[in-house]
Amino acid sequence: MINEFELKFKAVLANELLARNAVMSFLSPLNPSYETLCEFKTIISEGVSNAIIHGYKFDNSKDVYLKVIVYENDVEISIRDFGVGIDDVNEARMPHYTSRPDLERAGMGLTIIESLSDSLHISSIPGTGVKLIIRKKLLPQYINE
Amino acid sequence: MENKIKITSFDEGIVIKISGDLDSSKTFLYKEKIHEHMRQIGPRYIIWDFKDLTFLDSAGIGLILGRYNEVERVNGMMGLIGLNTYSRKVIAISGLFSLMKEYASLKAFIKEEKIEQ
Repeated sequence: MINEFELKFKAVLANELLARNAVMSFLSPLNPSYETLCEFKTIISEGVSNAIIHGYKFDNSKDVYLKVIVYENDVEISIRDFGVGIDDVNEARMPHYTSRPDLERAGMGLTIIESLSDSLHISSIPGTGVKLIIRKKLLPQYINE
Repeated sequence: MENKIKITSFDEGIVIKISGDLDSSKTFLYKEKIHEHMRQIGPRYIIWDFKDLTFLDSAGIGLILGRYNEVERVNGMMGLIGLNTYSRKVIAISGLFSLMKEYASLKAFIKEEKIEQ
């Protein structure tokens, strides 16, 4: 482990920006490419919005927990909520599966996280919340003078 | 970059240019603005210009898909311009390229799809 941070914030969609920018600031010293940084931002937003929308059903009194750890060759992101949980994780992972079609959100969140990362582990017990553990390669690129 | 939406029209279509971040805190407002233009113009073609887009996730994909379903109903078409490596990747993962194509410009869309002017 090289570096680590944790962040707790209310389940408000506007806080997606806080989470994205925190991760961006945290990873920037490692000099990731613009594209890689954008991918990290999308991963964070998908995970955080899932927690707010599905986990907490927009109850803004609840808290979302984000933890990011930088290792030698990759980054581990965990996003935790203590909301309703997922009944069937395999079903939730299916592309275009959504429990809220009314929200016009494409049901692609977990598929996008999976595609942009190297691994996605979902643990959930219905009634106690969801924890996503995402790993994505990031080789520190040092600037050559 | 400032977050904004700019909608311009051409013949039977509109170009929706989104600058900055397109996330779930913007999609509701943007949908309203797009619908306002759609009511006035009744477009058959919608082109999304993502040249100045700095962030995209499934909320934005949902906004695109929702409008796709609306132009589909009037036998219209949708196209994408100004994609970069990142936005192209998110769009590809979401499967949108089975519904619409990427074009070099609005001009290229009109020419390639033989849109009558």
